[in-house]
Amino acid sequence: MIANVLSLVADSGPTVHIAPGAVWQLGGLTITNSILYGWICIVAIGAFLIWVAHQVTIKPKGGVVQYVEVAVSFITDLVEGAFDDEKIGRKYVPYFVTLFFFILLNNWLGLLPIVGEGFKAGSLPLLRPFTGDLDGTLALGLVTMLLVYVASVRESGGPVHYIKHFFVGNPLNPIFLLVGILEMLTDLTRVISLSLRLFLNVTIGEILIAVFSYLGHIAAPLTALPFTLLEVAVDALQAYIFTILAVMYLAVAVNGANDHSDDLTEDTLPETIEVTHGEAISG
Amino acid sequence: MILADAVNTTVIAKGLMIGGGFIGPGIGIGLVGGNYLQAAGRNPSASKFLLGQALIFVAIVELFGLLAFASVFIFAK
Repeated sequence: MIANVLSLVADSGPTVHIAPGAVWQLGGLTITNSILYGWICIVAIGAFLIWVAHQVTIKPKGGVVQYVEVAVSFITDLVEGAFDDEKIGRKYVPYFVTLFFFILLNNWLGLLPIVGEGFKAGSLPLLRPFTGDLDGTLALGLVTMLLVYVASVRESGGPVHYIKHFFVGNPLNPIFLLVGILEMLTDLTRVISLSLRLFLNVTIGEILIAVFSYLGHIAAPLTALPFTLLEVAVDALQAYIFTILAVMYLAVAVNGANDHSDDLTEDTLPETIEVTHGEAISG
Repeated sequence: MILADAVNTTVIAKGLMIGGGFIGPGIGIGLVGGNYLQAAGRNPSASKFLLGQALIFVAIVELFGLLAFASVFIFAK
């Protein structure tokens, strides 16, 4: 009898969608369900943060505004602390704060039951998280790395100077040429690793929740609860990590262009060499 | 006799990826955690500062574990 009851509530397996599904066609472009979710999140986060900005007063009142202020000041300290010169850091703060809140809201709202299997038209879910789609995170990664490359080329003073930073020694020497090219390729893999990390964490979290809510057939809310809480923590951590890695790439590119303190010249040689050399001659 | 006709090699491939792919990140995260505990033992007032950095390195190492898990969905039958 238990088997009969279970066969009523159980599917044949957990249903997971990894690739996004097309919702409607607009001209020649396909609008997928993750793009739709992304637009809803843009409107939501724009409205929310603008409302919070109007509520900020000199004397702190309680409420949601406090938490948003804590998060914004956290990211601002992070960005300004990573650069040697704080004025340069202050230019880039708005982009990184927006990036952090956007990724955070996308990840967290993806855990709601509306997003995913609950809200379907036919057999296709109407909303999927934007960061749970490789196209979405690749877009985020490309835009961020574009910012990093443009900023680092501009701070180095031209593309030739920027490429010269990869090469140690004379580039005509084949070993140094290969090492320089490998360093440039390692730079390009940063885009892929940033976007893959975010996509995989969000998608695998959703798969875990789907599997565990399938395994507890009637008690699905109970078995899926610890994983949902884990995903809340993991999603926040991944938003923070995306932001902090992007800040570090930008800071390395901007700081390293301006100070050449690791060049070895006569006056940066350590003193002990000079002292013994002088004493040996005069003695 | 072609092996792929007699045995479902996709399942064997998935098993090998999962089995071999989670050794590395497990060791890596264990190392990061152990070094964090050692550093916190030497200097307990720095433990809150170090915790954020340790979790960042955990997420960087975790990427490779997730890549191994994602290969399950990429391999076709």
